[in-house]
Amino acid sequence: MQALEDDARGATNGAGGLGNQQSPQTPEGRSSGSLEVKGDHSGPEGQGGPGSEGAVAEAAVAPPQVEQAPRALGPAGDAAPVAVGPGSELLEFTLTVPFRSPLEADMARRSLIPVARRHQGVVQESTVNGSALAVRWTAEDPILFRTAINSFLDHLSLVIRNIRRLRPRLP
Amino acid sequence: MPAVLGFEGSANKIGVGVVRDGKVLANPRRTYVTPPGTGFLPGDTARHHRSVILDLLQEALTEAGLTSQDIDCIAYTKGPGMGAPLVSVAVVARTVAQLWNKPLLGVNHCIGHIEMGRLITGATSPTVLYVSGGNTQVIAYSERRYRIFGETIDIAVGNCLDRFARVLKISNDPSPGYNIEQMAKRGKKLVELPYTVKGMDVSFSGILSFIEDVAQRMLATGECTPEDLCFSLQETVFAMLVEITERAMAHCGSHEALIVGGVGCNMRLQEMMETMCQERGARLFATDERFCIDNGAMIAQAGWEMFQAGHRTPLSESGVTQRYRTDEVEVTWRD
Repeated sequence: MQALEDDARGATNGAGGLGNQQSPQTPEGRSSGSLEVKGDHSGPEGQGGPGSEGAVAEAAVAPPQVEQAPRALGPAGDAAPVAVGPGSELLEFTLTVPFRSPLEADMARRSLIPVARRHQGVVQESTVNGSALAVRWTAEDPILFRTAINSFLDHLSLVIRNIRRLRPRLP
Repeated sequence: MPAVLGFEGSANKIGVGVVRDGKVLANPRRTYVTPPGTGFLPGDTARHHRSVILDLLQEALTEAGLTSQDIDCIAYTKGPGMGAPLVSVAVVARTVAQLWNKPLLGVNHCIGHIEMGRLITGATSPTVLYVSGGNTQVIAYSERRYRIFGETIDIAVGNCLDRFARVLKISNDPSPGYNIEQMAKRGKKLVELPYTVKGMDVSFSGILSFIEDVAQRMLATGECTPEDLCFSLQETVFAMLVEITERAMAHCGSHEALIVGGVGCNMRLQEMMETMCQERGARLFATDERFCIDNGAMIAQAGWEMFQAGHRTPLSESGVTQRYRTDEVEVTWRD
Protein backbone atom coordinates (compact mmCIF):
# COMPACT_ATOMS: atom_id res chain seq x y z
CA MET A 1 0.00 0.00 0.00
CA GLN A 2 2.89 2.39 0.83
CA ALA A 3 4.42 1.75 -2.55
CA LEU A 4 1.11 2.64 -4.16
CA GLU A 5 0.97 5.88 -2.18
CA ASP A 6 4.51 6.81 -3.22
CA ASP A 7 3.72 6.13 -6.86
CA ALA A 8 0.50 8.11 -6.61
CA ARG A 9 2.27 11.16 -5.19
CA GLY A 10 4.30 11.34 -8.37
CA ALA A 11 1.41 13.05 -10.10
CA THR A 12 2.46 15.33 -12.87
CA ASN A 13 1.70 18.99 -13.20
CA GLY A 14 0.62 20.83 -16.29
CA ALA A 15 4.09 21.91 -17.29
CA GLY A 16 5.40 18.40 -17.24
CA GLY A 17 2.51 16.88 -19.15
CA LEU A 18 1.02 13.52 -18.52
CA GLY A 19 3.29 10.56 -18.48
CA ASN A 20 6.13 12.15 -16.52
CA GLN A 21 6.60 10.43 -13.18
CA GLN A 22 8.23 13.20 -11.20
CA SER A 23 9.46 13.10 -7.64
CA PRO A 24 7.02 14.50 -5.09
CA GLN A 25 6.78 18.26 -5.26
CA THR A 26 5.74 20.66 -2.61
CA PRO A 27 2.94 23.11 -3.34
CA GLU A 28 5.52 25.88 -3.18
CA GLY A 29 7.17 24.46 -6.25
CA ARG A 30 4.09 25.02 -8.39
CA SER A 31 2.42 27.99 -9.97
CA SER A 32 0.24 30.13 -7.78
CA GLY A 33 -3.04 28.71 -6.54
CA SER A 34 -1.88 25.10 -6.51
CA LEU A 35 -3.52 22.60 -4.21
CA GLU A 36 -2.22 19.17 -3.43
CA VAL A 37 -4.52 16.66 -1.85
CA LYS A 38 -3.04 13.46 -0.57
CA GLY A 39 -3.98 10.61 1.66
CA ASP A 40 -6.85 8.19 1.84
CA HIS A 41 -9.60 9.14 -0.56
CA SER A 42 -12.83 7.27 -0.41
CA GLY A 43 -14.28 8.69 -3.59
CA PRO A 44 -17.29 10.96 -3.90
CA GLU A 45 -19.76 8.24 -3.13
CA GLY A 46 -18.12 7.06 0.03
CA GLN A 47 -16.76 3.83 -1.33
CA GLY A 48 -13.14 2.89 -1.14
CA GLY A 49 -11.68 1.37 -4.25
CA PRO A 50 -8.52 0.55 -6.04
CA GLY A 51 -7.63 4.21 -5.95
CA SER A 52 -8.51 4.85 -2.33
CA GLU A 53 -5.04 4.56 -0.89
CA GLY A 54 -3.22 7.17 -2.81
CA ALA A 55 -5.21 9.21 -5.30
CA VAL A 56 -3.54 12.54 -5.75
CA ALA A 57 -5.25 15.61 -7.09
CA GLU A 58 -3.64 18.89 -7.97
CA ALA A 59 -5.26 22.08 -9.07
CA ALA A 60 -3.46 25.07 -10.45
CA VAL A 61 -4.21 28.36 -12.05
CA ALA A 62 -1.63 28.76 -14.74
CA PRO A 63 -0.27 32.24 -15.51
CA PRO A 64 -1.62 33.76 -18.69
CA GLN A 65 0.00 32.24 -21.70
CA VAL A 66 -0.08 34.05 -24.98
CA GLU A 67 2.84 32.89 -27.03
CA GLN A 68 2.91 29.23 -26.12
CA ALA A 69 -0.52 27.64 -26.33
CA PRO A 70 -0.74 24.41 -24.32
CA ARG A 71 -1.37 21.37 -26.38
CA ALA A 72 -4.12 19.06 -25.22
CA LEU A 73 -4.31 15.37 -25.90
CA GLY A 74 -7.66 13.85 -26.74
CA PRO A 75 -8.59 10.37 -25.67
CA ALA A 76 -7.08 8.90 -28.78
CA GLY A 77 -3.82 10.72 -28.25
CA ASP A 78 -4.34 13.27 -30.98
CA ALA A 79 -2.99 16.72 -30.25
CA ALA A 80 -5.15 19.81 -30.55
CA PRO A 81 -3.99 23.29 -29.60
CA VAL A 82 -5.97 25.16 -26.94
CA ALA A 83 -5.97 28.88 -27.59
CA VAL A 84 -5.60 31.12 -24.56
CA GLY A 85 -6.18 34.80 -25.15
CA PRO A 86 -4.32 37.62 -23.38
CA GLY A 87 -5.55 38.30 -19.86
CA SER A 88 -7.37 34.98 -19.45
CA GLU A 89 -6.36 32.29 -17.02
CA LEU A 90 -6.27 28.64 -17.79
CA LEU A 91 -7.50 26.43 -14.97
CA GLU A 92 -5.81 23.09 -14.59
CA PHE A 93 -6.44 20.05 -12.45
CA THR A 94 -4.57 16.76 -12.42
CA LEU A 95 -5.53 13.51 -10.77
CA THR A 96 -3.71 10.22 -10.46
CA VAL A 97 -5.58 7.13 -9.37
CA PRO A 98 -3.70 3.90 -8.69
CA PHE A 99 -5.33 0.61 -9.63
CA ARG A 100 -4.34 -2.96 -8.91
CA SER A 101 -3.06 -3.54 -12.44
CA PRO A 102 -2.47 -1.74 -15.73
CA LEU A 103 -5.40 -3.71 -17.12
CA GLU A 104 -7.83 -2.30 -14.57
CA ALA A 105 -6.47 1.21 -15.01
CA ASP A 106 -6.96 0.99 -18.76
CA MET A 107 -10.40 -0.51 -18.27
CA ALA A 108 -11.40 2.48 -16.16
CA ARG A 109 -9.97 4.89 -18.69
CA ARG A 110 -11.92 3.33 -21.55
CA SER A 111 -15.13 3.28 -19.53
CA LEU A 112 -14.77 6.97 -18.73
CA ILE A 113 -13.58 8.45 -22.04
CA PRO A 114 -17.09 9.04 -23.44
CA VAL A 115 -18.00 10.86 -20.20
CA ALA A 116 -15.35 13.47 -21.01
CA ARG A 117 -16.62 14.04 -24.52
CA ARG A 118 -19.86 15.49 -23.19
CA HIS A 119 -18.19 18.51 -21.60
CA GLN A 120 -17.60 21.22 -24.17
CA GLY A 121 -15.09 23.87 -23.27
CA VAL A 122 -13.05 21.54 -21.07
CA VAL A 123 -10.08 19.57 -22.32
CA GLN A 124 -9.52 16.29 -20.58
CA GLU A 125 -6.46 14.17 -21.14
CA SER A 126 -6.12 10.72 -19.68
CA THR A 127 -3.41 8.16 -19.84
CA VAL A 128 -2.32 5.02 -18.03
CA ASN A 129 1.12 5.04 -16.41
CA GLY A 130 1.86 1.60 -15.09
CA SER A 131 -1.10 0.77 -12.88
CA ALA A 132 -2.19 4.37 -12.44
CA LEU A 133 -4.79 6.32 -14.35
CA ALA A 134 -3.62 9.91 -14.80
CA VAL A 135 -6.11 12.57 -15.82
CA ARG A 136 -5.66 16.27 -16.48
CA TRP A 137 -8.30 18.90 -17.12
CA THR A 138 -7.78 22.36 -18.54
CA ALA A 139 -10.42 25.00 -19.09
CA GLU A 140 -11.02 28.72 -18.95
CA ASP A 141 -14.54 28.66 -17.59
CA PRO A 142 -14.53 27.75 -13.88
CA ILE A 143 -18.09 26.49 -13.90
CA LEU A 144 -17.56 24.13 -16.82
CA PHE A 145 -14.26 23.12 -15.23
CA ARG A 146 -15.90 22.21 -11.94
CA THR A 147 -18.81 20.42 -13.62
CA ALA A 148 -16.55 18.27 -15.76
CA ILE A 149 -14.34 17.25 -12.86
CA ASN A 150 -17.26 16.52 -10.55
CA SER A 151 -18.93 14.40 -13.21
CA PHE A 152 -15.73 12.48 -13.78
CA LEU A 153 -15.26 11.82 -10.08
CA ASP A 154 -18.85 10.59 -9.71
CA HIS A 155 -18.35 8.14 -12.54
CA LEU A 156 -14.86 7.16 -11.44
CA SER A 157 -16.31 6.15 -8.11
CA LEU A 158 -18.93 4.06 -9.89
CA VAL A 159 -16.31 2.36 -12.06
CA ILE A 160 -14.14 1.57 -9.04
CA ARG A 161 -17.09 0.05 -7.19
CA ASN A 162 -18.03 -1.87 -10.32
CA ILE A 163 -14.54 -3.31 -10.73
CA ARG A 164 -14.32 -4.25 -7.07
CA ARG A 165 -17.61 -6.11 -7.16
CA LEU A 166 -17.14 -7.89 -10.43
CA ARG A 167 -13.43 -8.33 -10.98
CA PRO A 168 -12.66 -11.92 -11.86
CA ARG A 169 -10.53 -13.90 -9.50
CA LEU A 170 -7.02 -13.79 -10.87
CA PRO A 171 -4.87 -16.93 -10.65
CA MET B 1 -28.86 -19.88 -27.31
CA PRO B 2 -27.36 -16.47 -26.60
CA ALA B 3 -28.28 -14.65 -23.40
CA VAL B 4 -28.20 -10.87 -23.39
CA LEU B 5 -27.99 -8.58 -20.37
CA GLY B 6 -29.70 -5.22 -20.87
CA PHE B 7 -29.30 -1.95 -18.95
CA GLU B 8 -32.01 0.72 -19.09
CA GLY B 9 -31.86 4.08 -17.33
CA SER B 10 -32.89 6.86 -19.71
CA ALA B 11 -35.42 8.43 -17.33
CA ASN B 12 -36.39 7.85 -13.72
CA LYS B 13 -36.58 4.07 -13.97
CA ILE B 14 -33.41 1.98 -13.79
CA GLY B 15 -33.68 -1.64 -14.86
CA VAL B 16 -31.41 -4.58 -15.60
CA GLY B 17 -32.88 -7.46 -17.61
CA VAL B 18 -31.75 -10.80 -18.98
CA VAL B 19 -33.28 -12.34 -22.09
CA ARG B 20 -32.38 -15.61 -23.77
CA ASP B 21 -34.03 -16.83 -26.93
CA GLY B 22 -37.24 -14.94 -26.43
CA LYS B 23 -37.55 -15.72 -22.73
CA VAL B 24 -37.27 -13.04 -20.05
CA LEU B 25 -35.14 -14.60 -17.34
CA ALA B 26 -34.93 -11.55 -15.07
CA ASN B 27 -36.20 -7.99 -15.05
CA PRO B 28 -35.67 -6.15 -11.74
CA ARG B 29 -36.28 -2.40 -11.70
CA ARG B 30 -36.17 0.60 -9.39
CA THR B 31 -37.98 3.92 -9.78
CA TYR B 32 -36.71 7.29 -8.61
CA VAL B 33 -39.78 8.93 -7.08
CA THR B 34 -39.79 12.61 -6.17
CA PRO B 35 -42.12 14.42 -3.76
CA PRO B 36 -45.57 15.57 -4.97
CA GLY B 37 -45.45 18.78 -6.95
CA THR B 38 -41.93 18.12 -8.23
CA GLY B 39 -40.36 16.38 -11.18
CA PHE B 40 -37.11 14.44 -11.50
CA LEU B 41 -33.97 16.33 -12.45
CA PRO B 42 -31.14 14.76 -14.48
CA GLY B 43 -28.40 15.03 -11.85
CA ASP B 44 -30.51 13.66 -9.01
CA THR B 45 -31.84 10.88 -11.22
CA ALA B 46 -28.35 9.88 -12.28
CA ARG B 47 -27.25 9.86 -8.64
CA HIS B 48 -30.11 7.52 -7.83
CA HIS B 49 -29.23 5.19 -10.69
CA ARG B 50 -25.55 5.09 -9.69
CA SER B 51 -26.51 4.12 -6.16
CA VAL B 52 -28.62 1.10 -7.13
CA ILE B 53 -27.37 -0.19 -10.47
CA LEU B 54 -24.75 -2.61 -9.17
CA ASP B 55 -27.23 -4.17 -6.74
CA LEU B 56 -29.74 -4.47 -9.57
CA LEU B 57 -27.15 -6.18 -11.73
CA GLN B 58 -26.51 -8.76 -9.06
CA GLU B 59 -30.25 -9.19 -8.55
CA ALA B 60 -30.75 -9.82 -12.26
CA LEU B 61 -28.07 -12.47 -12.42
CA THR B 62 -29.40 -14.19 -9.31
CA GLU B 63 -32.97 -14.13 -10.58
CA ALA B 64 -31.88 -15.51 -13.94
CA GLY B 65 -29.71 -18.15 -12.30
CA LEU B 66 -26.79 -17.14 -14.49
CA THR B 67 -23.18 -16.10 -14.07
CA SER B 68 -21.07 -13.77 -16.15
CA GLN B 69 -19.91 -16.71 -18.22
CA ASP B 70 -23.48 -17.41 -19.34
CA ILE B 71 -23.96 -13.90 -20.72
CA ASP B 72 -23.10 -13.45 -24.38
CA CYS B 73 -23.63 -9.73 -24.86
CA ILE B 74 -24.13 -6.53 -22.87
CA ALA B 75 -26.80 -4.16 -24.20
CA TYR B 76 -27.46 -0.66 -22.90
CA THR B 77 -29.69 2.28 -23.77
CA LYS B 78 -27.78 4.55 -26.08
CA GLY B 79 -30.67 7.02 -26.28
CA PRO B 80 -32.91 8.92 -26.46
CA GLY B 81 -33.36 10.17 -22.93
CA MET B 82 -31.92 12.33 -20.19
CA GLY B 83 -28.19 12.85 -20.53
CA ALA B 84 -26.85 12.31 -17.03
CA PRO B 85 -28.80 9.09 -16.32
CA LEU B 86 -27.90 7.71 -19.74
CA VAL B 87 -24.21 8.36 -19.11
CA SER B 88 -24.22 6.74 -15.69
CA VAL B 89 -25.77 3.55 -17.01
CA ALA B 90 -23.52 3.45 -20.07
CA VAL B 91 -20.42 3.70 -17.86
CA VAL B 92 -21.47 0.54 -16.04
CA ALA B 93 -22.30 -1.26 -19.27
CA ARG B 94 -18.85 -0.47 -20.63
CA THR B 95 -17.12 -1.57 -17.48
CA VAL B 96 -19.06 -4.83 -17.28
CA ALA B 97 -18.41 -5.56 -20.96
CA GLN B 98 -14.67 -5.14 -20.39
CA LEU B 99 -14.60 -7.07 -17.12
CA TRP B 100 -16.45 -10.00 -18.63
CA ASN B 101 -14.91 -9.62 -22.09
CA LYS B 102 -18.28 -9.51 -23.82
CA PRO B 103 -19.40 -7.51 -26.85
CA LEU B 104 -21.30 -4.29 -26.22
CA LEU B 105 -24.46 -3.08 -27.97
CA GLY B 106 -26.02 0.38 -27.84
CA VAL B 107 -29.78 0.12 -28.22
CA ASN B 108 -32.40 2.68 -29.22
CA HIS B 109 -34.83 2.99 -26.31
CA CYS B 110 -37.89 3.28 -28.56
CA ILE B 111 -36.94 0.15 -30.46
CA GLY B 112 -36.51 -1.60 -27.13
CA HIS B 113 -40.16 -0.89 -26.38
CA ILE B 114 -41.27 -2.08 -29.81
CA GLU B 115 -39.28 -5.30 -29.75
CA MET B 116 -40.46 -6.16 -26.25
CA GLY B 117 -44.05 -5.43 -27.29
CA ARG B 118 -43.71 -7.73 -30.29
CA LEU B 119 -42.13 -10.47 -28.20
CA ILE B 120 -44.67 -10.43 -25.40
CA THR B 121 -47.80 -10.02 -27.51
CA GLY B 122 -46.85 -11.94 -30.63
CA ALA B 123 -48.06 -9.12 -32.88
CA THR B 124 -46.61 -9.64 -36.35
CA SER B 125 -46.57 -6.26 -38.05
CA PRO B 126 -48.62 -3.80 -36.02
CA THR B 127 -49.05 -0.07 -36.16
CA VAL B 128 -47.35 0.94 -32.93
CA LEU B 129 -48.54 3.68 -30.60
CA TYR B 130 -45.52 4.50 -28.46
CA VAL B 131 -46.56 6.73 -25.57
CA SER B 132 -44.47 7.59 -22.55
CA GLY B 133 -43.23 10.49 -20.48
CA GLY B 134 -40.55 11.25 -23.01
CA ASN B 135 -41.92 10.10 -26.34
CA THR B 136 -45.15 10.06 -28.34
CA GLN B 137 -44.95 8.45 -31.75
CA VAL B 138 -47.04 6.39 -34.14
CA ILE B 139 -44.71 3.93 -35.82
CA ALA B 140 -44.96 1.24 -38.46
CA TYR B 141 -42.28 -1.02 -39.90
CA SER B 142 -41.37 -0.71 -43.53
CA GLU B 143 -38.27 -1.73 -45.44
CA ARG B 144 -35.77 -2.14 -42.65
CA ARG B 145 -36.88 0.90 -40.64
CA TYR B 146 -39.39 1.68 -37.95
CA ARG B 147 -40.97 4.64 -39.70
CA ILE B 148 -42.53 7.47 -37.72
CA PHE B 149 -45.93 8.23 -39.20
CA GLY B 150 -47.00 10.74 -36.61
CA GLU B 151 -45.69 12.22 -33.39
CA THR B 152 -45.96 15.02 -30.91
CA ILE B 153 -44.65 18.32 -32.18
CA ASP B 154 -43.83 19.49 -28.67
CA ILE B 155 -44.08 17.52 -25.44
CA ALA B 156 -44.89 13.85 -24.91
CA VAL B 157 -48.34 12.88 -23.69
CA GLY B 158 -46.83 11.40 -20.53
CA ASN B 159 -44.99 14.65 -19.89
CA CYS B 160 -48.29 16.50 -20.19
CA LEU B 161 -49.90 14.18 -17.65
CA ASP B 162 -46.93 14.28 -15.28
CA ARG B 163 -46.72 18.06 -15.30
CA PHE B 164 -50.45 18.37 -14.74
CA ALA B 165 -50.06 16.05 -11.75
CA ARG B 166 -47.57 18.53 -10.29
CA VAL B 167 -50.13 21.33 -10.53
CA LEU B 168 -52.55 19.32 -8.41
CA LYS B 169 -49.73 18.03 -6.19
CA ILE B 170 -50.73 14.47 -7.06
CA SER B 171 -48.34 11.87 -5.67
CA ASN B 172 -45.58 10.55 -7.95
CA ASP B 173 -45.73 7.15 -6.23
CA PRO B 174 -45.88 4.78 -8.04
CA SER B 175 -46.21 7.22 -10.93
CA PRO B 176 -48.19 10.43 -11.53
CA GLY B 177 -49.89 8.90 -14.58
CA TYR B 178 -51.19 5.96 -12.57
CA ASN B 179 -52.61 8.27 -9.90
CA ILE B 180 -54.25 10.47 -12.53
CA GLU B 181 -55.84 7.35 -13.97
CA GLN B 182 -57.28 6.34 -10.60
CA MET B 183 -58.64 9.85 -9.99
CA ALA B 184 -60.09 9.99 -13.51
CA LYS B 185 -62.22 6.94 -12.76
CA ARG B 186 -64.07 9.09 -10.22
CA GLY B 187 -64.51 12.04 -12.57
CA LYS B 188 -68.07 12.95 -13.56
CA LYS B 189 -67.84 16.14 -15.55
CA LEU B 190 -66.11 16.62 -18.89
CA VAL B 191 -64.33 19.96 -19.01
CA GLU B 192 -63.80 21.09 -22.57
CA LEU B 193 -60.11 21.37 -23.38
CA PRO B 194 -58.28 22.27 -26.60
CA TYR B 195 -58.11 19.35 -29.01
CA THR B 196 -54.94 19.63 -31.07
CA VAL B 197 -54.43 17.09 -33.81
CA LYS B 198 -52.44 18.42 -36.72
CA GLY B 199 -52.70 15.92 -39.56
CA MET B 200 -50.66 12.94 -38.48
CA ASP B 201 -49.18 14.81 -35.51
CA VAL B 202 -50.38 15.97 -32.10
CA SER B 203 -49.57 18.84 -29.77
CA PHE B 204 -49.89 18.78 -25.98
CA SER B 205 -48.14 21.92 -24.74
CA GLY B 206 -51.17 24.12 -25.39
CA ILE B 207 -53.51 21.73 -23.59
CA LEU B 208 -51.15 21.71 -20.63
CA SER B 209 -50.94 25.49 -20.54
CA PHE B 210 -54.71 25.73 -20.75
CA ILE B 211 -55.47 23.22 -18.03
CA GLU B 212 -52.78 24.66 -15.75
CA ASP B 213 -54.47 28.02 -16.17
CA VAL B 214 -58.08 26.94 -15.64
CA ALA B 215 -57.43 24.33 -12.95
CA GLN B 216 -56.86 26.71 -10.08
CA ARG B 217 -59.77 28.94 -11.07
CA MET B 218 -62.29 26.15 -11.59
CA LEU B 219 -61.26 24.31 -8.47
CA ALA B 220 -61.45 27.47 -6.39
CA THR B 221 -64.96 28.27 -7.63
CA GLY B 222 -66.12 24.70 -7.31
CA GLU B 223 -66.95 24.40 -10.99
CA CYS B 224 -65.25 21.04 -11.07
CA THR B 225 -63.24 18.65 -8.95
CA PRO B 226 -59.64 17.47 -9.43
CA GLU B 227 -61.13 14.14 -10.52
CA ASP B 228 -63.11 15.89 -13.25
CA LEU B 229 -59.95 17.55 -14.53
CA CYS B 230 -58.06 14.24 -14.58
CA PHE B 231 -60.92 12.62 -16.43
CA SER B 232 -61.19 15.48 -18.94
CA LEU B 233 -57.47 15.55 -19.65
CA GLN B 234 -57.32 11.81 -20.25
CA GLU B 235 -60.37 11.77 -22.48
CA THR B 236 -59.00 14.62 -24.59
CA VAL B 237 -55.42 13.50 -25.07
CA PHE B 238 -56.29 9.83 -25.49
CA ALA B 239 -58.87 10.66 -28.15
CA MET B 240 -56.16 12.53 -30.02
CA LEU B 241 -53.86 9.54 -29.85
CA VAL B 242 -56.57 7.18 -31.05
CA GLU B 243 -57.24 9.49 -33.99
CA ILE B 244 -53.67 9.62 -35.25
CA THR B 245 -53.21 5.90 -34.72
CA GLU B 246 -56.32 5.16 -36.73
CA ARG B 247 -55.12 7.49 -39.46
CA ALA B 248 -51.82 5.61 -39.68
CA MET B 249 -53.60 2.26 -39.71
CA ALA B 250 -55.81 3.42 -42.54
CA HIS B 251 -52.78 4.63 -44.48
CA CYS B 252 -50.93 1.33 -44.01
CA GLY B 253 -53.94 -0.95 -44.30
CA SER B 254 -52.93 -2.37 -40.94
CA HIS B 255 -55.03 -4.88 -38.98
CA GLU B 256 -52.96 -4.78 -35.81
CA ALA B 257 -52.25 -2.06 -33.28
CA LEU B 258 -49.70 -2.33 -30.48
CA ILE B 259 -49.44 0.08 -27.54
CA VAL B 260 -46.03 0.40 -25.87
CA GLY B 261 -44.51 2.83 -23.41
CA GLY B 262 -45.42 3.75 -19.85
CA VAL B 263 -48.65 5.54 -20.77
CA GLY B 264 -49.66 2.32 -22.54
CA CYS B 265 -50.39 0.82 -19.12
CA ASN B 266 -53.40 3.13 -18.86
CA MET B 267 -56.54 1.00 -19.06
CA ARG B 268 -58.70 3.86 -20.36
CA LEU B 269 -56.32 4.37 -23.29
CA GLN B 270 -56.41 0.66 -23.99
CA GLU B 271 -60.20 0.72 -23.82
CA MET B 272 -60.46 3.59 -26.30
CA MET B 273 -57.95 1.98 -28.65
CA GLU B 274 -59.85 -1.32 -28.43
CA THR B 275 -63.07 0.41 -29.45
CA MET B 276 -61.36 1.93 -32.48
CA CYS B 277 -59.76 -1.37 -33.45
CA GLN B 278 -63.05 -3.23 -33.19
CA GLU B 279 -64.72 -0.68 -35.43
CA ARG B 280 -62.00 -1.29 -38.00
CA GLY B 281 -61.89 -5.06 -37.64
CA ALA B 282 -58.38 -4.81 -36.27
CA ARG B 283 -56.73 -6.41 -33.24
CA LEU B 284 -55.23 -4.51 -30.33
CA PHE B 285 -52.13 -5.68 -28.47
CA ALA B 286 -50.82 -4.29 -25.21
CA THR B 287 -48.52 -5.41 -22.37
CA ASP B 288 -48.76 -5.02 -18.63
CA GLU B 289 -46.74 -2.72 -16.39
CA ARG B 290 -43.76 -5.13 -16.28
CA PHE B 291 -42.97 -4.41 -19.91
CA CYS B 292 -44.89 -1.19 -20.70
CA ILE B 293 -42.88 0.83 -18.25
CA ASP B 294 -39.18 1.28 -19.01
CA ASN B 295 -37.31 -1.89 -18.10
CA GLY B 296 -34.01 -3.64 -18.70
CA ALA B 297 -35.46 -6.68 -20.42
CA MET B 298 -36.70 -4.63 -23.35
CA ILE B 299 -33.17 -3.39 -23.97
CA ALA B 300 -31.93 -6.96 -23.62
CA GLN B 301 -34.53 -8.17 -26.11
CA ALA B 302 -33.71 -5.53 -28.71
CA GLY B 303 -30.05 -6.23 -28.02
CA TRP B 304 -30.68 -9.93 -28.57
CA GLU B 305 -32.17 -9.25 -31.99
CA MET B 306 -29.31 -6.95 -32.90
CA PHE B 307 -26.70 -9.39 -31.60
CA GLN B 308 -28.14 -12.21 -33.68
CA ALA B 309 -28.10 -9.92 -36.73
CA GLY B 310 -24.40 -9.21 -36.19
CA HIS B 311 -24.54 -5.72 -34.68
CA ARG B 312 -21.76 -4.67 -32.31
CA THR B 313 -20.88 -1.35 -30.70
CA PRO B 314 -17.14 -0.73 -30.30
CA LEU B 315 -16.10 0.87 -27.03
CA SER B 316 -14.91 3.92 -28.94
CA GLU B 317 -18.48 4.44 -30.22
CA SER B 318 -20.29 3.55 -27.01
CA GLY B 319 -21.42 7.01 -26.06
CA VAL B 320 -24.99 8.11 -25.48
CA THR B 321 -27.19 10.55 -27.32
CA GLN B 322 -30.16 12.40 -25.93
CA ARG B 323 -31.75 12.69 -29.34
CA TYR B 324 -31.90 9.36 -31.13
CA ARG B 325 -34.68 8.98 -33.63
CA THR B 326 -36.52 5.68 -33.95
CA ASP B 327 -36.02 5.70 -37.70
CA GLU B 328 -32.25 6.19 -37.45
CA VAL B 329 -31.72 2.50 -36.79
CA GLU B 330 -31.46 0.05 -39.63
CA VAL B 331 -33.59 -2.89 -38.57
CA THR B 332 -31.54 -5.65 -40.14
CA TRP B 333 -33.13 -8.40 -38.05
CA ARG B 334 -36.46 -8.12 -39.90
CA ASP B 335 -37.24 -8.67 -43.53
